[in-house]
Amino acid sequence: MGDIRNCRDVDEHLTPYVDGEETQETRRSLDAHISACPPCREHVESERSARQILHSHRGDLKVHAPEALRDRCARLRQVEGGQAPAGPRTSVIRRWVPLSLAATLVLAVTGAIVFGLNNRVEALAASLAIDHVKCFKVGARDKHVDPERAANRWQQNQGWPIAIPQTEPAEELRLLDVRRCFSSDGRAAHMMYTWRGAPLSVYVLQGDAGADRVVDRMGREAVIWCANRRTYAVVADGHPHDMAHIVDYMKARVR
Amino acid sequence: MVFRRPSGRPPGAAPTGDADAEAFAQAALSHVDSLYGTALRLTRRPADAEDLVQDTYLKAFRASHQFERGTNLKAWLFTILHNTYRNARRHDGRNPVDVDSEAVDRAAGDERVSLSPEQILMRGTLDADLQAALDALPEAFRQAVWLRDVEELSYAEMAKVLDVPIGTVMSRISRGRRALFAGLQARRGTAEPRMASR
Repeated sequence: MGDIRNCRDVDEHLTPYVDGEETQETRRSLDAHISACPPCREHVESERSARQILHSHRGDLKVHAPEALRDRCARLRQVEGGQAPAGPRTSVIRRWVPLSLAATLVLAVTGAIVFGLNNRVEALAASLAIDHVKCFKVGARDKHVDPERAANRWQQNQGWPIAIPQTEPAEELRLLDVRRCFSSDGRAAHMMYTWRGAPLSVYVLQGDAGADRVVDRMGREAVIWCANRRTYAVVADGHPHDMAHIVDYMKARVR
Repeated sequence: MVFRRPSGRPPGAAPTGDADAEAFAQAALSHVDSLYGTALRLTRRPADAEDLVQDTYLKAFRASHQFERGTNLKAWLFTILHNTYRNARRHDGRNPVDVDSEAVDRAAGDERVSLSPEQILMRGTLDADLQAALDALPEAFRQAVWLRDVEELSYAEMAKVLDVPIGTVMSRISRGRRALFAGLQARRGTAEPRMASR
């Protein structure tokens, strides 16, 4: 693919462009046209918005099959496969675990293209970016809680422990609140900080929970890593290189 | 989920052993929620959706030797489901795929984009709105958007499932998404602004 000469050329590439699946060369070419063409930009925006909304509601849109249907389908196999139902069976299925979760990833969510990303990780980052925006919009910015007390309260109410990094005047780091993050079935802790006056979120997820949820590219950066069968994420409104320091700070203290 | 063969047989070999067949069946059955949800989007009636899912499993178990190990089992099951649905509709005498692209273009072009994604989120994307906007899409677009954004299939997998070229897949996703956004905006435009409830 090469030249993008007119809007019709753009149309063909719109979906892979929005999905981040175009080659770098084509993408650059598209960027050039789109930045100069309001109608195309509007197409991109509305397609991207729909995609984000769907991704963020993926969990709600999915349904559970009735138990009876599940049982009937399972029995079909014994009828069709010609095999007599045997006694208790042990499951030999292993869940596929996204490998990329094991690595620390810096996700440029500001529209920079991300290649070869595991979808689940991108989805997770996106879902957290949304939650981050949402929580800081509805939450009170002048609140202040004590990290130690908040950690105790969390353990009492939620039944699993988290380490909440201390507030640090020298870092201009303040803890506003700790709440259950509903983006991942309520199995994630969301620590809401301000850092240098801007919102910063630290998320702790049990296992790979939530990795199969949701949206992206809300103009936020997310850094994700895994340790001790938990997934951690820092989301802030800054650039990755500015964040490196605070991410290291959190990494050392949050486990 | 990618189906992993529990034994060391070469890829593509038929599941001969009991354990292999069992593993295949369990892996297939783990997708029952996805299949039912997709069937529900297609048929819109729970009873029809259940029938469609049962037919799909019946065929899948019969044809399990045709499944290529290491490929996406969910996409393979979706292909059977959509084929079954298309065949049933053909016997119904209705049009299998009905794309009124002009209407969609109109719908997508009508609405001025006045809200940012953040604004929409903050006003609360009600599930009911989203469901209604999805259901209002022409079927071909609804399927494309659903398989891509909810079930997370690749373009190539979707081309197989829907039995259309990849270019068609992408253009249906694109038009479907834009029409969905226009539909959501139209729904929100008349509603009171409200904060997210969670």
